[in-house]
Amino acid sequence: MQKKLWKFGTKEVVYAAIGAALYGILGLATNLLQLPSAGNVSIRPAIVIPMFFGVVFGPIVGFISGFLGNIISDLLSGYGLWFWWDLGNGLIGLISGLIFLRIVTYKSGKEIVLAEIFGVIGVVVGMALASISEMWVSGADIKTVIFGNFLPSAITDAIWGLILLPILMIAYAAVNKRSGR
Amino acid sequence: MLVTWHYRVRNGLMEKFDPRARWIFSLAFLFAVTMFWDARFLLFFFVLAFAWYFSSKAKWKETRRGWLLIGFILFMMIVVNTIITGGGAGGVVPKGGHLVWPAGLFLLGWKIPFDLTWERLWFAICQIMRISSISAIFLIIPYTMDPRQYGVTFRGLGLPDSFAYSMELAFRYVPTLARDFTTTFDAQRARGYEIERVKGNIFKQIVRVAPLIVPVTMNSIMMGEDITDAMDLRCFGQRPRTWLYQLNYHWQDYVLISLGIAMLLVGIFSLYVFHIGGFWVPAFFIH
Repeated sequence: MQKKLWKFGTKEVVYAAIGAALYGILGLATNLLQLPSAGNVSIRPAIVIPMFFGVVFGPIVGFISGFLGNIISDLLSGYGLWFWWDLGNGLIGLISGLIFLRIVTYKSGKEIVLAEIFGVIGVVVGMALASISEMWVSGADIKTVIFGNFLPSAITDAIWGLILLPILMIAYAAVNKRSGR
Repeated sequence: MLVTWHYRVRNGLMEKFDPRARWIFSLAFLFAVTMFWDARFLLFFFVLAFAWYFSSKAKWKETRRGWLLIGFILFMMIVVNTIITGGGAGGVVPKGGHLVWPAGLFLLGWKIPFDLTWERLWFAICQIMRISSISAIFLIIPYTMDPRQYGVTFRGLGLPDSFAYSMELAFRYVPTLARDFTTTFDAQRARGYEIERVKGNIFKQIVRVAPLIVPVTMNSIMMGEDITDAMDLRCFGQRPRTWLYQLNYHWQDYVLISLGIAMLLVGIFSLYVFHIGGFWVPAFFIH
């Protein structure tokens, strides 16, 4: 079947929901497990989920996985709702998903590199939007936003994504082949 | 892993409002409050936000975790950035100002270069009012909004059926995925995997999270195929959906929405027509 970038049919509805629930659960679980972290930066390996769902199922699925998943994670952890950070997480999935049409085998080196590049761009844009919104909401200046919000969140998210995204893509290629899809 | 929503029926005043009206009010509040740095306006929003917060009847014990996080953010943003380094006040507080310690701050006989101004101190008070008002409005949402109503709420706010259904499905899928996660985690532990003892450099630590994330993700993708097939067989998306929960506006919802819109309009007119509401320091505060 031919892939369409902005399609949102039954399959996309289901995988957007699964991606969001998965991001919410894994985000909460890894926070509770208290993985070794540096400084006060909240690390979230689950950030790879919106990237992966974007790459595999398209930008809309990626966006919903990140946006709604972050909402679910915050709802479960009791941290309240922070709309601009939800939107930033959604953008990570959306931008990662823009490469969706070029990804076919999920395991070739070229496809993995492309997915990684779009994932990192997504992290930079998403976290920049969320961080800059703190200037508007909290009155923080640009230096505070860059060094206090943007760099810690973007660097950790990019590292998690760069390492875990290829692992998930290769695993998905194997599952895809075995299931005959 | 125990996954529970924080929502409980508390019979608070807040729960008498339609969730759609509450979202409209919350977002209008956010946009309105961010137009002001004048403490007189911010005080109004602060009182309104906490009156709204306390109308939920949520207990401190329940919301403590969220407030601790907000307290930490406020500390970093205000004490460190605005008061100590002066960074957080950039762009709003004019350069210069009246020093709190004009002769310098002396500690154990040492003169410490600390140019805190009364203007920056007042800005810190404004920041506390503004950030805690926004926090009170948004922190309380998970505790007072029924997760079963998110889908129909956003459908009612104009989101297409398919998107709203995706939200609904995600909320319903959470307990299933939490169970799968626990099963996978237990199975990996039985094989000797211990996430608490993940050692090595940052890259090794990240790679070792994979045995937990990969099986849960792949398992849910496989299950997604079955759900898609079941929905396709039931002709999903061919006609507008009906929803299990029905929402209806009542008079109090119109009052709340009107209040939200009024706040926005007052903000827009104050800022762009009358040019008031910007940063202002009362004369009595500057010695």
